[in-house]
Amino acid sequence: MLFEEALFVTVLASTLRGSMPMLLAALGETYAESAGILNLGIEGMMVAGAFASFLVGLQTNMVPLGFLGAAIIGAVLGGIIGFLVIGLRLNQIVVGLGMTVFTSAFCNLLHRIIFGSQFPMLWGAGMTTEIPVLSKIPIIGQPLFNQHWLVYVTLALVPVLYFLLYRTSLGLRIRAVGETPWAADASGVNVYGIRYLTIILAGVLASTGGAFLAIGDLAFFIPDMVKGRGYIAIVVVMLGRWNPIKVFLGSLLFGFALSLTSALQVAGLKVSPDFILTMPYLVVILTLIIIAKSTSLPAALCVPYKRGE
Amino acid sequence: MNNQPLIRLKAITKRFKGVIANDAVDFDLYPGEVHTLLGENGAGKSTLMHILSGLVQPDSGSIEIRGESVNIRSPYDSLRHGIGMVYQHFALVPNLTVIENIILGFEEGLILNRKRTESVLKQIFKEFELSLPLDEKISNLSVGERQRVEIAKALFHRSDVLILDEPTSVLTPIESEELFNTVFSMRRMGKAVVFITHKLKETIGISDRISILKLGKKVAEMSGEDLRQVGEEEGYRRIFDVMFDNTQLPKDTTTIKRSSEEMPILELDQVVCLGNFGEMRLKKLSLKLNKGEIFGIAGVDGNGQKELAEILAGQRKVVSGRLILDGNDITHEEGAGTRTDLGISYITDDRMQEGCALSMSVAENSILRLFKRPPFSRRKIMNKANINRHAEALIREFDIKVSGPDVDVGTLSGGNIQKILLARELSLHPKVLVCNKPTQGLDAKTTRYVKDRLQQESVRGTAVLFISSDLDELLSCSDRIGVLYDGELLDIVNRCDANRENIGKLMLGIRQ
Repeated sequence: MLFEEALFVTVLASTLRGSMPMLLAALGETYAESAGILNLGIEGMMVAGAFASFLVGLQTNMVPLGFLGAAIIGAVLGGIIGFLVIGLRLNQIVVGLGMTVFTSAFCNLLHRIIFGSQFPMLWGAGMTTEIPVLSKIPIIGQPLFNQHWLVYVTLALVPVLYFLLYRTSLGLRIRAVGETPWAADASGVNVYGIRYLTIILAGVLASTGGAFLAIGDLAFFIPDMVKGRGYIAIVVVMLGRWNPIKVFLGSLLFGFALSLTSALQVAGLKVSPDFILTMPYLVVILTLIIIAKSTSLPAALCVPYKRGE
Repeated sequence: MNNQPLIRLKAITKRFKGVIANDAVDFDLYPGEVHTLLGENGAGKSTLMHILSGLVQPDSGSIEIRGESVNIRSPYDSLRHGIGMVYQHFALVPNLTVIENIILGFEEGLILNRKRTESVLKQIFKEFELSLPLDEKISNLSVGERQRVEIAKALFHRSDVLILDEPTSVLTPIESEELFNTVFSMRRMGKAVVFITHKLKETIGISDRISILKLGKKVAEMSGEDLRQVGEEEGYRRIFDVMFDNTQLPKDTTTIKRSSEEMPILELDQVVCLGNFGEMRLKKLSLKLNKGEIFGIAGVDGNGQKELAEILAGQRKVVSGRLILDGNDITHEEGAGTRTDLGISYITDDRMQEGCALSMSVAENSILRLFKRPPFSRRKIMNKANINRHAEALIREFDIKVSGPDVDVGTLSGGNIQKILLARELSLHPKVLVCNKPTQGLDAKTTRYVKDRLQQESVRGTAVLFISSDLDELLSCSDRIGVLYDGELLDIVNRCDANRENIGKLMLGIRQ
C-alpha cells in the first residue's frame, strides 16, 4: 500500500534529503540572481563539488575535509565566472554553459584517470546525526531529526539568508545592484564587489550541494549523478521569486518528486521505471506552466555593468 | 557669500571618443548660492557635473573641495565629500521602496533600522516641506515624486551641494514651482545648488549666478541679480547673444492665417477610452480637426493627452464613440500600421522607448513604417541601397547630425533622435499628424526647428494635433487650442483669443 506508515516515513526522510542539493544551490543562485548574475555554471559547480568532496574525502579519509574541499572549489569556480562576466563583461549565458560543460567533462575525465571504471565507496560518508529527544517523536521524529548534519545547517541557512537579503543593508545593496546597477553605483555602492561576493557565495553553496549528493546522501561519485539538479535549482529560484523561504518550499516540491520516483519504484507500480524517472522534470514543467506566468526577473539580470555606459 | 568656495573646478577637460565634452572649464560654487549651468544639448553641462559626482573621470584639470585638492574616483568619493546629485534619469531602483532608495549606500550598520531612519526623514521633510509615501515602490510614483525622492536622499546624506540635472524638463508647471521652493529653502540653509538647464525663463528666475557653456567651453558667467534688474526681455537677449553668437532671439514667427474656410479632415465623436488600469481617461470627447491647422492640446500632464494620442494612432481601443477620417468611419480600423496606411502619423512623447529602435541604424529606423512597401522591399527582401538613399536624403533634409545612415540611433543625442522621428513621420506625407510633446527635452535651436517643420507641414495642408504641456509653445504656434481636463475638452479657444491666463485657468479646470 502506498500510504503505509513506513512508506510515509521513507518519503518524508528522502524528500528532505533529496531536496538538499537543490536547495543549497538554489539559495546561492538566489543571491547571484538578485545581484544580476544568472549562474548557468551552477550544474558544473555541483558536479565539481561532488567530485572534489569525494576525492578529498577519499584521499584524506576525512569526510568533513571533503566538504571543505568542495566549498573551496566552488569559491574558485565562482571567482572565475565572476572575473569573466563582471571583470571582462562576457555574456553570462555563454560563460555559464561553458563552465558547466567544461567542469562536467573535466571531472569525468579525472575520475577515469584516477579510478578507471571503478566506483569505490567512501567509508564513513552519509552518516546521520540523531538529535536527542526530538528524534524520539513518533513517526516524524526519525525522518526529520535523524539526518545528516548538513541538512540541519542548510535548514538553518534558509531564514538567515532570508533575513540577510531582505532586512539588512547588504541585502538591500544586493537587490539594488541586480535591479539598477548604475543607480546603486551613483549611491556609492560597490557594484563589482557585491557581484563578486554573490557569485562566489553561489559557487560555494552549489558545490556544497554537489558534495552533499556525493558524500552526504550517498558515499560515492558517479559522473552524471547531478542529473540536472543545478538547472532545477535555477527554476526553483524563479518560482520562489528570489525569496529564500519560497525557494525552500520549491526545493521541497522537487525533493518530493524525486523521492516519489524511488518510492514508486519500490512500491512496485506497474509503470515503466523510465517514465517514473521523468517525474521530477515533468513537475518542473508543470509548475512553470501553472505558477511562473508572471515572473519578473531582476531588471539587470545578465546585463554587465560599466560605469558611464 | 563666503570667500572660500565650497567647490572649485579648475581647467576641467574631458573627451569622449575624440569629441570634446569639456574644454578647460572653470567652475566654482559657494555655500548658499544657486549656480545655474546653462547651455544647449551637448554643451557639456551634464558631463561637467558627472565629473563632480564621480560618474566620469576627467582627462585633466583639478577639483578642490573646501580649499583642499581632492580626487573623485567614484560616486562613493563624491558622496563622502557631501555632493548629492539628482540625475536626469533618476538614480533610483524602481523595484525598491522610497525609504529603501533613500538609505541605499548610507545605511548605518548591517541591520536596517527603520525607526531611526524614519525619524531622521521626518525631520528633513519638515524642514524642507517635502512629503513622500515611504513604503511605496518607486515604480508607482510620478516623475515629480521620484525627483523628490532623489532630493530627500541627498538631504538624508547631509549633502552640502545638490546638483539638479535638467530637473524641470519632466515636471508640470506646478511641480516646478514646488521644486523651486525646495531649492530656495536649501539656499536659506546655506547649501549650494547647481542647476543644469536649457530653459532661459527659469534660469533668470532662480539663479544667483549663471555659467553658460557652449560646445564644451565656458563662454560667460553672469549674475542672476543683474539679469533680473534689466528686465525679462533684455535678460533673455543677453543670454541669447552669448549662446547663439549674437543671432537674433528666435522670435516665434506668426504665420499668415490660412484660408478661413474650415475643411474637417478628422472628427472625434463622443469618444470614450480607458486607461491602463481600466479607469476612464477620455469622457465623450468630441473634436473636429481641419485641414491645414495646428490644433494645440493644452492641459496638465495626465489629463488624457497620452490616451488621446494613442487612440488616434490606433494603439488604444475606443470603447464607444466614433473616429471619422475624411468621411470614413475608422473607429475599428485599429493598429499603428493600419492608421499609418490611412494617413495618420504619430510622434510619441516617449521617443527613446516607443519612438524608435535604439539598437538599429538610422536607415532602419527611417523606414520602420515603410519597410513593407517598394522600393524598400520587394517580396519580403529588403533593398538596402534604396533604404540608405532614402535615409541619406532625410539626413540632409532634416539636418540630422550623424556620420552616416548606418549609425545606431542609440548613439545619437535626443535632439537628433527626435529629428529622425519627425523625418520618418513627415516622409509619409500624412493627412493628420499627431505629436505628443514633440519638443520635450530639446534645446532651443532644435525646438525651433521642430516647430517650424510643423508649421510648414500645416501650410501644406496637414492637420496637426499638437499636444504639449508648454503653454507658451502652444500659444505661439497653434491656430486653435483645446484644453483637456480630466478627460474632457473643457473649451476650444481661437488663437486670437487665447492667452496664458484664460488657458491657464482652463488647465486647472476652471470654466469661464
